[in-house]
Amino acid sequence: MIKKILGILKDDGECVYKELPNGMKMRIEDFDLWYGKTQALKSVNMNIKKNKVTAIIGPSGCGKSTLIRSLNRMNDTIPSVRTEGQIWLDGYDIYDDTADCVDIRRKIGMVFQKPNPFPFSIADNIYYGCQVNGMKVDKDEVVKRCLKQAAILDEISDRLGDNALSLSGGQQQRLCIARALAIEPDVLLMDEPCSALDPIATAKIEDLIHELKKDYTVVIVTHNMQQAARVSDYTAYMYLGELIEFGKTKQIFENPKEESTEKYITGRFG
Amino acid sequence: MSIRKLLAIWIFFVSIVVSIIGFHSLAVQSDIGYWIMAGSLILISLSCHASGIYSYLTKKDGKNLMMVLYGSVILTIASMSFYIPDVLDLRPWEIYARIPDQFFFALIMLLVGIFTSYLSFRPYHNYSKEGAQSGALYVLHVTILLTLLPLFIIIFNIIFRGAGGITYEFLTEDIVSMGEQGGVYPAILGTLAMIALTAIIVLPLGVGTAIYLAEYARKGLAVRLIRTAVNILQGTPSIVHGLFGYAFFVLIVFNGQKCLLAGALTLAILTLPIVTRSAEEALNAVPGDLRDASLALGATKWQTIRKVVVPPSLPGILTGTVLGLGRAAGETAPIMFTAVYFSGAGTPNSLLRPIQALPYHLLSLYRLVGYRDVENQAWATALLLLIIVLGINISAIIVREKYRQRF
Repeated sequence: MIKKILGILKDDGECVYKELPNGMKMRIEDFDLWYGKTQALKSVNMNIKKNKVTAIIGPSGCGKSTLIRSLNRMNDTIPSVRTEGQIWLDGYDIYDDTADCVDIRRKIGMVFQKPNPFPFSIADNIYYGCQVNGMKVDKDEVVKRCLKQAAILDEISDRLGDNALSLSGGQQQRLCIARALAIEPDVLLMDEPCSALDPIATAKIEDLIHELKKDYTVVIVTHNMQQAARVSDYTAYMYLGELIEFGKTKQIFENPKEESTEKYITGRFG
Repeated sequence: MSIRKLLAIWIFFVSIVVSIIGFHSLAVQSDIGYWIMAGSLILISLSCHASGIYSYLTKKDGKNLMMVLYGSVILTIASMSFYIPDVLDLRPWEIYARIPDQFFFALIMLLVGIFTSYLSFRPYHNYSKEGAQSGALYVLHVTILLTLLPLFIIIFNIIFRGAGGITYEFLTEDIVSMGEQGGVYPAILGTLAMIALTAIIVLPLGVGTAIYLAEYARKGLAVRLIRTAVNILQGTPSIVHGLFGYAFFVLIVFNGQKCLLAGALTLAILTLPIVTRSAEEALNAVPGDLRDASLALGATKWQTIRKVVVPPSLPGILTGTVLGLGRAAGETAPIMFTAVYFSGAGTPNSLLRPIQALPYHLLSLYRLVGYRDVENQAWATALLLLIIVLGINISAIIVREKYRQRF
């Protein structure tokens, strides 16, 4: 808030605008991130195409989660984090002084590794995002639409008043996806959304990602390379905080340019 | 000679000695409570020695005897409650603690009994590993029982002596002739009004501080200073709170007039650290995942706190507050200079008038013992105060168990 005010006072309130190439939703440009003195991301450059699924893979601790959390500034909640570089969303830098985290997160939804529904009713969980953003919408309609989009409406349509914690793990995760859709974001970030789920629930969520692609730009972090191959259009391979290789999923999996990528994909390390 | 035989002889020896001491004390004392206690002590030592000898001789377990053992420890502790010094025998202004000799003697015998029964566990289990194991467990059980001993003593005593004094008249009338007659009606109302007012003052302050510390403050010097300050506040003797309340609230703010509001403010300062710390713990118990989820949906930090963090931690916050209030309800020192009169204040009708309160009433009656016939009234007041404080604490526990959130 103060940043925003200062930003407006500093110049005439105009943010820097930079036209992104056609079909591109987000662009990460020379992005560095430090936790205290440890550098977790080293000069990452990456493009995220509109209405495509971009997967980020790599061994544990390579900075995948850090990168995806940077995309909607969730890392701001960690006190010791410091960043350099830009991340553009539709031509605006989300790390600009004038940018407001709350607005950014409103445009870029996120689904976390562990299902984390609020201890409210299912309907209230969905409606929460609309409520805090002051969206004037019909609650029943939003709840139905989002649950349907998340392919869970049929299973729980008669339990909308129940506490969300009474759902199974897979259902909770799809509820979290539905919740993220309620605020109608442009981009949906998924941080290992299936790592706590069994294969059946995982398959359901993968199908769902295929569906969501039509309306949203999806970025997904995953440990599971088969999953990346199945769901994504583009794949980024990270190692030790650096983006080693980025390209079409088919090309990365069938014909990787870097030796390290090939080793990781064929399971020889990581 | 094997260790096993030596041990059996030792146990036999001790059992004889303890029994002789027990019978001797029975012979010289005539008090019925003492008989019960000495009897149960003898029961303890005899049963454990018997079990030791039995298992030595037959090389078998004597499990049934264990129940006798534990039962007699409990019985002893219960009967000890008759043996707290009779406070009301003391004359005012020449205070000396006159604890009956039997009390110490009984205590020593209890410890000897516990020790000898501990020794019997090894032969009891035929010198297996299990013997050492269950011996250790037995000692732990006994420590728990001994920890509960003061509580038993206090509650037994106050109930036995105070129950008779609680009459309809006692609950509904004001003090008559320095507490010899009449009751404590204004004092009950005064105490309740003071607690309610304290709650109103302390809740916003304590919860506000806790939210700042748990949600906003980043780890640094400032937060450490605030936490240390809160801890120091908690460690401050209540009489110091009372003197501060007198010097600041009564003398400066209220022009030398003791009043309900000054007392409640002083108690609020006393309760503040308890409320702050328990609220902070309750807030920290809410998983960070939920905060992330809310922020990721475009909620501001304050919206997150208001809608996601505070509601599930409310039971914890309320429990802490109520426990703090329970402590405040029983405090005398903070209110004696700031809010209360012994008599004449009447039922509370204004924030700026003094009140009567139960803890101060009890103190005043105690001072009159020896001059006036107020013993029964004093015990009844103590029982009433105990009921109120325990009631507050029990209600806090019920609230917590009923509304506790599980994630």
